[in-house]
Amino acid sequence: MNRREVLQRVALLMGGAVSAPAAFAVLNGYGKEPGPDWKPAVLGEPELAVVSRIVDIMIPRTDTPGALDVGVPAFIDGILKDVYSQDARDRFLQGARDFDAAAREAQHKPFVKLSAQQQKAFVQKSQDAAIADERALSERKQKALVQEIRDVTMLPQRTETAPETHQRAFILTVKELTLLGFFTSQPGATQVL
Amino acid sequence: MEKNTFDAIVVGTGISGGWAAKELTEKGLKTLVLDRGRMVRHGEYPTTTEDPWQLEHGNKPTLHDLERQSVQARTGYTISPASKHWFVDDVDNPYVEKYRFDWMRGYHVGGRSIMWGRQSYRWSEMDFEGNAKDGVAVDWPIRYADVAPWYDYVETFIGVSGQNEGLAQLPDGKFLPPMELNCVEREFQSKLKDKFGRALTIGRAAHLTGPLTHNESPQRSSCRNRNMCIRGCPFGGYFSSNASTLPSAQKTGNMTLVPNAIVYELIYDAKKGRATGVRVLDAETGAQTDYFAKVIFLCASTFGSTQIMLNSISDRFPNGFGNDSGELGCNIMDHHLGAGASAMVEGFDDRYYSGRRPNGFYIPRYRNLGKEKREYLRGFGYQGGASRAGWGSLQMASELGEELKKKAQAPGPWSIGMGGFGEILPYHDNRVTLDRDRKDKYGLPILSFDARLRENELRMRKDMINDSAEMLEAAGYRDVRIVDETYGIGLGIHEMGTARMGRDAKTSVLNAFNQVHACKNVYVTDGSCMTSAACQNPSLTYMALTARAADHAVRELRRGNI
Repeated sequence: MNRREVLQRVALLMGGAVSAPAAFAVLNGYGKEPGPDWKPAVLGEPELAVVSRIVDIMIPRTDTPGALDVGVPAFIDGILKDVYSQDARDRFLQGARDFDAAAREAQHKPFVKLSAQQQKAFVQKSQDAAIADERALSERKQKALVQEIRDVTMLPQRTETAPETHQRAFILTVKELTLLGFFTSQPGATQVL
Repeated sequence: MEKNTFDAIVVGTGISGGWAAKELTEKGLKTLVLDRGRMVRHGEYPTTTEDPWQLEHGNKPTLHDLERQSVQARTGYTISPASKHWFVDDVDNPYVEKYRFDWMRGYHVGGRSIMWGRQSYRWSEMDFEGNAKDGVAVDWPIRYADVAPWYDYVETFIGVSGQNEGLAQLPDGKFLPPMELNCVEREFQSKLKDKFGRALTIGRAAHLTGPLTHNESPQRSSCRNRNMCIRGCPFGGYFSSNASTLPSAQKTGNMTLVPNAIVYELIYDAKKGRATGVRVLDAETGAQTDYFAKVIFLCASTFGSTQIMLNSISDRFPNGFGNDSGELGCNIMDHHLGAGASAMVEGFDDRYYSGRRPNGFYIPRYRNLGKEKREYLRGFGYQGGASRAGWGSLQMASELGEELKKKAQAPGPWSIGMGGFGEILPYHDNRVTLDRDRKDKYGLPILSFDARLRENELRMRKDMINDSAEMLEAAGYRDVRIVDETYGIGLGIHEMGTARMGRDAKTSVLNAFNQVHACKNVYVTDGSCMTSAACQNPSLTYMALTARAADHAVRELRRGNI
């Protein structure tokens, strides 16, 4: 499949909710002109479509550039490839599939086939629930630490990070990478900030 | 042999080595300056002007980076595309840790003076007296008055910004104008004074906030408040060997600087009872060269110098150079950190500040002063700061889309945080040895560390956390949260003590002028010389002790004593 076909497939998958330039921007390399054959290294087509739609909802083009304009999906793909461990990478891809499955369950349609309005509402709802979860978890950890310190005369030397039982929700991982990719891009850092 | 013979040899070019090089060359000694790493001239800082979008992956370390620099990455902030090149490759430079031990370092000319934290505090009389008063380890062979003029001297030369406060536990200095505390920090300062009688001052940082009072460093100019210091500063806005002491040494015409020169052994002449030179491996070719001089300054960093001494075995010194006492490699100290608190601050949403101040506030030690007796000895200082959040705080905000972009354009909420730097006592059993069964890629035996926090430090940590939370709560800040981070000795990157100074050759390695007790023409002036750790950042003290030792060495040479 060549670049043109990828472009068409992604535009198709992203449905009517996204403009052609935005679909094109999905394929743009991060921070520089895309090579003629850029294809995601880690994200498959369905995951790329879901991620692209989410980042566009999180930081859309307004009178200033948006996440798709600066190539955030390519940035995320690069992070998955070079920065994330195999575990984290697999978890992200599974997260994208689970996200889509949750949309199907709620709305009886794949996420990318929902109306723009429905997509936004679904992203917002997922995000807010995940934030509430993380906040509650952080509260529990803080309470446990306060309790622990109250009860001892000396603290242990902590040499190892406690094994992480909670993994950041997919939607918040996408947000984290979107914020990082966008606000460290030249347009994000100079035209929006 | 002629061409390899100098008046003096300095091993290392970091904070201490740069000072030894400057002082010895300015006093007329033909000086060979060796560094085990690559050459870095002032200005050769590859990432110093990179914008965020020029750093790959948003400046996150890659999996490959983390494989090569897994130990160096334990700080959480050093192994990124912006600064990883200043830190060693752990695969090529292994060490043994019997208990978690963090040895953070870089092999290049300038050493850690490029990446250091620039916080510059004097030690006080109570720090030099502490061991004798508490009956801990051995007494320092010097007192504040011995070092005070040298503090004056090095502060004046390097430029330290700060505010004199007239505190017994944190002596005043020769300061450039202080950086500014912001509005929240000023409020916190006055609340701490009112409610606890504790001081808070702007960090004393080796940054030029005004012109130096001398004309010897024309290559330096004022700090731009970029706060990208760890990358190296092309303006020479903060002190580094590369920007400051090495150019001065170069100017004398007396310095021969050789990079890629790994000193692995001191050459000892038993008949003369002195060291005659050093043995060097070329890091690139493996070629071996001997260099000779009348006086040798070991400034290779605490463990670097100790490694050379442990590896210098002779009939006279079967247990390591100058190690008659058995203390060489023992008494490892650092500052334990990662214990503190943070909070959100309300009521200042109409206020802001300008620039990216490369500094924070400092709360000098207040525990165990005067008559107070906690359940532990000594104390800790806090470093912290208040600021308004940037786009990072959007992560946990509900706004998305256009609302998110709007929010990103306004300053975020104020928060304030601080963490303690606690004194670690010198314990004989916190030690480093050579593992002769394991060799690095140059065939040299590697270091093996066995050191941990003990009861005194672990009791202190409880205070470090509780006090910080208590102060933030008393100031009226909300959502106070405590932290107790993971820590291995070394993570403070203030390692000290493995060749301590002392009054008695039976219980210490160095004398009051940093000379090896048993071999007076070898001076050791890096952190290994420290007899106790205090809780202040130690680099300024290394500089003062080095300048003082260099002065002593030149006078002794002239008198024919060494």
